Amino acid sequence: MSGNYGHRLEFGTFITPVNASPETPVALARRAEALGYDLVTFPDDPDQPAHLDAWTLLSWVAGRTDRIHLAANVLTAPLRSPAVIARSAASLDLLSGGRLQLALGTGDRVAAGSAGASGLDAVEAVGGPRLDPRTAVDALDESIDVVRAVLDAGDPTPVRYLGDHHRLAGASRGPLPAHHIPIWLGGSDPRLLRLVGTKADGWLATSGPDDLGTANKIIDEAARAAGRDPAEIRRLLNVSGRFSATRQGFLHGPAADWVEDLLPLVVEHGIGTIVLMTDDGATLERFAREVAPALREAVDRALPAPLPRTARRTASVRAKRRPGIAYDEVPASLADGAVEPGDIAYAHVKSTYLRGGAPGLVLRPRDPAEVADALAFARAHRHLPLGVRSGGHGISGRSTNDGGLVISLARMNEIRVLDEATRRVRIGPGARWMDVAAALAPYGWALTSGDYGGVGVGGLATAGGVGWLARKHGLTIDHLRAVELVLADGTQVRASDTENPDLFWAVRGAGANFGIVTAFEFEVDEVGPVGWAQFALDASRPTDLLTRWGAAVEAAPRDLTSAILMGPPRPGQPPVAQVMAMVDSDDPATIVAQLQPVADIAPGYDQSVVITSYASVMANASDAPHQAQGEPISRTGLLAHLTPEFAEAAARLLASGVVYFFHIRSIGGAVTDVDPDAMAWSHRGANFHVTAFGRHRGRLDALWDDLLGPHLRGTYLSFETDLRPERVGEAFPPRTLARLRTLKRRYDPDCLFRDNFAIAPEPTPEPSARTTP
Amino acid sequence: MTDYGHDLLFGAFVTPTAQPVHHAVDLAVTADRAGLDLVTFQDHPYQPRFHDTWTLLSYAAARTERIHLSGNVLNLPLRQPAVLARSAASLDLLSGGRFELGIGAGGFWDAIEAMGGRRLSPGQAVDALEEAIHVIREVWAADRPGGIRVDGTYYRVQGAKRGPAPAHDVKVWIGAYKPRMLRLTGRVADGWLPTLQYLSGGPADLTAMNAHIDEGAVAAGRDPAGVRRLLNIGGRFATNGRALLDGPPEQWAEDLAGLALEYGVSAFILAADDPATLELFAAEVAPATRELVAEERARASR
Repeated sequence: MSGNYGHRLEFGTFITPVNASPETPVALARRAEALGYDLVTFPDDPDQPAHLDAWTLLSWVAGRTDRIHLAANVLTAPLRSPAVIARSAASLDLLSGGRLQLALGTGDRVAAGSAGASGLDAVEAVGGPRLDPRTAVDALDESIDVVRAVLDAGDPTPVRYLGDHHRLAGASRGPLPAHHIPIWLGGSDPRLLRLVGTKADGWLATSGPDDLGTANKIIDEAARAAGRDPAEIRRLLNVSGRFSATRQGFLHGPAADWVEDLLPLVVEHGIGTIVLMTDDGATLERFAREVAPALREAVDRALPAPLPRTARRTASVRAKRRPGIAYDEVPASLADGAVEPGDIAYAHVKSTYLRGGAPGLVLRPRDPAEVADALAFARAHRHLPLGVRSGGHGISGRSTNDGGLVISLARMNEIRVLDEATRRVRIGPGARWMDVAAALAPYGWALTSGDYGGVGVGGLATAGGVGWLARKHGLTIDHLRAVELVLADGTQVRASDTENPDLFWAVRGAGANFGIVTAFEFEVDEVGPVGWAQFALDASRPTDLLTRWGAAVEAAPRDLTSAILMGPPRPGQPPVAQVMAMVDSDDPATIVAQLQPVADIAPGYDQSVVITSYASVMANASDAPHQAQGEPISRTGLLAHLTPEFAEAAARLLASGVVYFFHIRSIGGAVTDVDPDAMAWSHRGANFHVTAFGRHRGRLDALWDDLLGPHLRGTYLSFETDLRPERVGEAFPPRTLARLRTLKRRYDPDCLFRDNFAIAPEPTPEPSARTTP
Repeated sequence: MTDYGHDLLFGAFVTPTAQPVHHAVDLAVTADRAGLDLVTFQDHPYQPRFHDTWTLLSYAAARTERIHLSGNVLNLPLRQPAVLARSAASLDLLSGGRFELGIGAGGFWDAIEAMGGRRLSPGQAVDALEEAIHVIREVWAADRPGGIRVDGTYYRVQGAKRGPAPAHDVKVWIGAYKPRMLRLTGRVADGWLPTLQYLSGGPADLTAMNAHIDEGAVAAGRDPAGVRRLLNIGGRFATNGRALLDGPPEQWAEDLAGLALEYGVSAFILAADDPATLELFAAEVAPATRELVAEERARASR
């Protein structure tokens, strides 16, 4: 008696893929989905010309269904290259939104439970390899290794595999599927059962009830011998039967008798998925309506505890857990979306745009209550780094880490217009600015927001937001009218000029220190078509070029916002600077008139000027997951004017070769209209924001501090990676910092939010009499 | 002047990128709605940035209504011919006769071997392709008596059952460039599917290549006109004409009509990954090209 293995009870269907009327199996699959079945499967006999090819049919059905999971029952592995099986599986899993399960078999029909000559002969007849029952299992064993290796897309090394049946000589891995694709094996040969125990995620049986106990025992013993928990292995059973008014035999009788027959299979033999083999719509429906729900209830009555609703993590996944994290105490609300190092989704969430990471746990809340749950979990893990991530573009922001927690807000990405008359828009922290721009464009609106569309709303809109419309419309935070946030203690509050105004002041520039903003309310601008220019200019006289660019930009009408990009000397090539500019006007004459002085600062190599939309300029990021490695090394600062002295220093920095990317953006204009004390971001006199990236921390810091430091007045933390404490003082002038420290004591006295340029709370007044322990 | 007299087809050559996941499917849907005849995907199973082409073809077929689909071209060395034949017939049955079999001998042998495939010399690969096409046609010939027996050097089928037959006469199109492959194309294929950019001498190369195909066809007792000449093309739409397929849609139509009438090309498959280009190709280039070719054919037959 093996007992129940604790898997969520699921129901599937086994549909004959007849090709005489190909629409029939498709319609049955859709019917199964509508009836609430979890899984639809089709057999893949090695030599059956009356059937549709299983993989083709599964792919087709994936395109015609939305929810139901898909599997072959089972795929004849010897007739397909295992590496191609893996890539096909990843593709189908991606296309179907994570609905593929991979069930494999040797093709041996006897082993698969149906009558007839050996399926292995059929495999050979159609052109597959000659296999006997023993070598067929060996080859399947190797196929599992190959499939798993190719699907392990997080591993950057190519796959080399030297088996007796399969050899791979450096195949690339990937693509990464949408979910962990379990590998189930079908068959009843004891060798195959032992392989299930050692390697598979599930066993797809067609045995009678009497054989299940023996088979489970073989699987369990093999699993234990391989150091696995037998409960990791889902047991699936193909069953067939007939409904009738009175009991005629096993699964041949009224629905209540079916429940009675199936109950011991679940409770005593641990069957986790019952796959009903039928092509009869009425049977499909009756089972779904009368047997499945009653069986669930009966199972819950018979077992000491109800079956779980979510999948459990296997020993191999748990083996990759990091120390100091109470993985099994993740709040229930977050358990489904949580990602840990052994999970398939980990490769997509571990790193950020510019920083490689290896967090111990990524929590992905969907609403403020779940953010509060995540923060409660974080409070219980104060010994670990805590990253808070919106788009994962932060150069400064530690939105990934090594072994710590990450709260990813990507799922909180709603963009909703609250009031068209006042252009009030509510945006979640996980939205990306290109999506915001695209959502606002149909209204003829835009919200200035940095220069890259992949950046997330949350990080930028709590730090400042220097964008392509800065000189015309100010900073992103200048448009903020209210925020909702969850504080370190889990309290959900709203802040605006009239509600918690101190907090609202702090969030606009120092938000990362005070809570997790779950919704931003902005008043956006009317912005029509814009002029967008890109110039490649001669940079052989960099001092002159920078000085002239700075002067041209400062003299330009506020419609114009610009940036200049320069790089290190390139042997044998002339130095070139890239100048970009946006002009908030749709009048060609105005655009040209405003651009001309910028274009004229140096001889040009190339230029492009178009009238386009703000949204299309921002649509410059891909949807691919971040996969950076290493740490970005950058320095940044603000300054009022590009003086000849600054330009000379910048030219020397560039000539050193230490900097590979040098970037100055214009601010000024409307940004200067705001009172410096109105928000925590208080450098209202800055006309320029300068950033440099280097490859060597020490060399960049030394040159920057020496050459540029003396010219800078304040900094913009979003681009800073230097962790020395002076940086916080540069970001916030003394009066601002003092107020922030007072507020930090009020809102986050224990410094839960400390990994993104921590502000030290003002000390609590000393108690009059100190107690000594 | 060579014109084999086929109706013109216009299609799309869409990158089967796996990221964004549905990008290629969305473009197939665009091509379908725009009225193109064909959507095709390259097949490089060793390339993890791409979807598996067979899976993508099947999924995209389920998402479209009218357009035909083909690999461009399918990579034979990593696929079992009998399985491919049944898969092709299945997709043709499911899609109501919308599948065509573009196939190639394979070329990137290091990558094929890295995936566990068998390395063949170029000459062996031509022979293997011919055997595979024979196996595929035997599987599709469901009405013939007896099992399939192909005792080839590269593929052996020993008594497998025949069938299923596809829903329509699935065309076999071969991607070929060298004389042996071109003669094979003339001997056994329903179509020839090269890429214009790979022709070092430009369209002028088509003349000699057509001659090899015609020679292969005639030697096998076939009418050369039985082999449709398809062509993958690239280009861009611009206000002013600068070069072949670089100009306004009217110029494209003239360029393509020239290729049709001069070199007998009767299917133009445009490499494009943006909906606007495909829509312009379908809405403006295709009808104008058809009109020009019809006029010229009418004039020639007078």
